[in-house]
Amino acid sequence: MFLKRSKAMAVVSIVLVALFVLSGCGGSTSTGTSTQTADNTKKGPIKIGFLGAKTGNVAIYGLNTIKGLEMAKDELNKNGGILGQQVELVEDDDAGAKDQAINITNKQITQDKVVAIVGDPTTGITRVAGQIANSKNTVIISAGSTGPNVVEIGPYVFRDTLLDSVAAPATMKYVIQEKGWKNVALITSKNNDYSVGLSKIFTDAIKANGGSIVKEEFIQDGDTDFSGQVTQIKAAKPDVIVFSGYYTEAALIMKKVREVGMKDITMVGGDGLQGDDLMKIGKDSVEGVISYAGFSPEQPTPTTAKFIDAYKAKYNGELPDLFSAQGYDALMLLANAMKQANSTDPTKFKDTLAQTKNYDGVSGTITFQANHEPLKSPVYLLQVNGGKFTLLKKVPVQAQ
Amino acid sequence: MNDLMQQLVNGLALGSIYALIALGYTMVYGIIALINFAYGEIYMFGAFTGLALAVSYGANVYIALLGAVLFTGLLGVVIERIAYKPLRRSSRLSALISAIGVSIFLSTLMVLLKGPNTQGFPKLFQDRIYHIGNFQITIYQIVIIGVSALLMLGLQLFVTYTKVGRAMRATAQDQDAASLMGVNIDQVVAITFAVGSGLAGAAGVLAGIYFNAVQPYMGLMAGLKAFAAAVLGGIGSIPGAMLGGLAIGLTEILGVTVNLSQYKDAFAFAILILVLLIRPSGIMGRKLNKKV
Repeated sequence: MFLKRSKAMAVVSIVLVALFVLSGCGGSTSTGTSTQTADNTKKGPIKIGFLGAKTGNVAIYGLNTIKGLEMAKDELNKNGGILGQQVELVEDDDAGAKDQAINITNKQITQDKVVAIVGDPTTGITRVAGQIANSKNTVIISAGSTGPNVVEIGPYVFRDTLLDSVAAPATMKYVIQEKGWKNVALITSKNNDYSVGLSKIFTDAIKANGGSIVKEEFIQDGDTDFSGQVTQIKAAKPDVIVFSGYYTEAALIMKKVREVGMKDITMVGGDGLQGDDLMKIGKDSVEGVISYAGFSPEQPTPTTAKFIDAYKAKYNGELPDLFSAQGYDALMLLANAMKQANSTDPTKFKDTLAQTKNYDGVSGTITFQANHEPLKSPVYLLQVNGGKFTLLKKVPVQAQ
Repeated sequence: MNDLMQQLVNGLALGSIYALIALGYTMVYGIIALINFAYGEIYMFGAFTGLALAVSYGANVYIALLGAVLFTGLLGVVIERIAYKPLRRSSRLSALISAIGVSIFLSTLMVLLKGPNTQGFPKLFQDRIYHIGNFQITIYQIVIIGVSALLMLGLQLFVTYTKVGRAMRATAQDQDAASLMGVNIDQVVAITFAVGSGLAGAAGVLAGIYFNAVQPYMGLMAGLKAFAAAVLGGIGSIPGAMLGGLAIGLTEILGVTVNLSQYKDAFAFAILILVLLIRPSGIMGRKLNKKV
C-alpha cells in the first residue's frame, strides 16, 4: 500500500515538474512570437496579461476582449510602443473558472512578470483575481465587470465598463422626462442578484425623475407562467414596463403582455435584455423594447469610427462589440497612464491611471471618479427594431 | 372583481397543466406504489417533440399533440422496462432512486441534444381574445383548458368502462389477486406507464405553446408542483389528481393576485406540507390499510 502510494506520488510529481517546465516555455508562445523570456531588463517588452475565458460558456466575452487588445497592441507597437518599449500580451484561458483564474493570475504576475492584467470580463472572477493582483502590487483592469465590490478591493483594481448606477438613472431620465412615461410597472426577478440590485437603482431613479411605480411585481429566473403578474399589471394601467432581469424572461413577459391585449406598451430594461434569444423567443412581441448598453457601432464619434474601420479591416468585416471596444480601451488607458507617469512600474502608474479624466475612448468618454469607479458617457439606448438592436439615442452623462 | 375573474381563468389554465402531469404520478403510484420522479422529464420530452414537429414539419397543434403523446407514451414504456421493471420486487427505495436517475439522465440528454437555452414555440394560432361577460380569455387558454378537460374525461371513461381499465383498477387494489384472476400484470403496468406518460407529453406540448418556452429543465419545477398536486388530491386517486392540479394552479395565481408574487412557488409546497400534516391521504384519497 505504502509502496503503491509512493510510486503514485513519484508519477504525480514527475508530471507536475513536466507541466511546470512546459508551461514555463509555453506561457509566452500564446502571443504567437517567441520573444526571449529573459528577465525584464530595461529594453525588454512590457508585458500585459489577459485573463478571461477563451473556451466555455462565457468564451465569447473573452475572445472579443482579446480582439480589441490585439488591435490596441498592434497600434501601440506600430507607433513605437510605450515609453520606447514594445508591448507583449500574455493570453491565458481561465474558461470562466475561478480556480483556474487564481492559477493564471499568480502565474502571470510571478512568472511572466506582467505589469498589468486586463480581465476578467465577469464580476465574480475579477473579484478573485483582483485580490491577488492588488496584494502583489499589479494593476488589474476589468473590461466587463459591472457588479459591486470590485474596485473597492484596493488601489490596483480598475474597470472601464458602463455601470448600472450610471446607466440606469440616465435611462429612467429619458423614459420619464423625455418620453413622458410617468407611471411605471416594475418587475424584478427575485432569484437573480443582478435584477434585485438593478431594481433598487431603477426605483430610486424613477422617484428622482418624478415618476411613480404604480405596480411592482416579482418573478423568478426560469419561470414560464407570467399570466398572474401580467394581469395585475394590466389592471394598474402603467405607461411603461421596467424589467431588471434577463432576456429570456423579458421575451416571455412581453409575449404575454401582447397576448392579453396591451398592444402599445413597451418594456425598458438593462443590458441583461441584450441577447439574441430576446428576439428568437419573443419575435414580434419584443419590437420596441428598450435597453441600455456601453457600446454601439452606430453613430460613432471620430475616435470610434477610426476604431471600427481598423477593426473591420483586421477581422474580415466583423463589427466590434462592447467587449472588443472595452478591451481596446483598457490597454490604451494603461498605455496612457504609463506615459503620464513616465514609468512602467505599477506602483507609480496606478496613480496616474486613477486620475484619468475625460479620456476619449472608443466605447465612450472615460473618467475615473474619486471612488475609483468609471464614469462613462454616453449611455447608448438600444431599441429592438425589425428583430435587431438598433441605436435609439445616445444619452450623455454629466460628471457629478 | 373583474381582475379576480381574470385571474381565475389564468389559474385554471395553469392548473390544467399541473393536473395532466399529476395524473401520471397518481396512476403509477396507484398501481405499483412508485413515485415516478421522471414524469417532469417526460413532460419536457413531450414539449420538445411537439416543438420539433411544429418546427420541422409545420405540424398544427393537434398533430403536434398526437405525435408527442405517442412518443412520450412509448418513452414511458421503455423507461419502465429498463429502469423500474427489474426493481419491481426489490425495495421501494431502489425504484425511487432509479427514478431520480432517469430524471437526471433525461434532462442532461436533452441539454446535450438541444443545448440549455430556452426555445420559443412557433405561433400555432393567431393571438385572439374572447370577451365573455366582463372578463377575457385568450385562445391559448381555451385550447389548454379544453384539451386538458377532454383528455381527463377520456381517461376517466377509459378506466371506468374498458376491460383494460378494469384490469388496472383490479391491479391497483391487489396485484397478486388480480394476477391470479388472469390479469397480465406486466401488460397493465406497461399500459399505465404509456397512458400516464402520454398525458404528461400532452401537457408538455400545451405548456410549450402557452408559455412559449421550452427548455431541458422545465420538467423539474413542473414535476414537483404536479407531485404536490397529486398528494393534495390524494395520491392514487385520478379525480383527486385533477382537483389537486387545479387547486395548486389557482392558489399560485391567487397568491400573485394578493400581491405576493414573491412567494408564488412557495404556495404549492406550503400546501404540500399542510396536507401531509393535516390529511395525509389527501382530498379524495382513501385511507388504505397497508398492503405490504
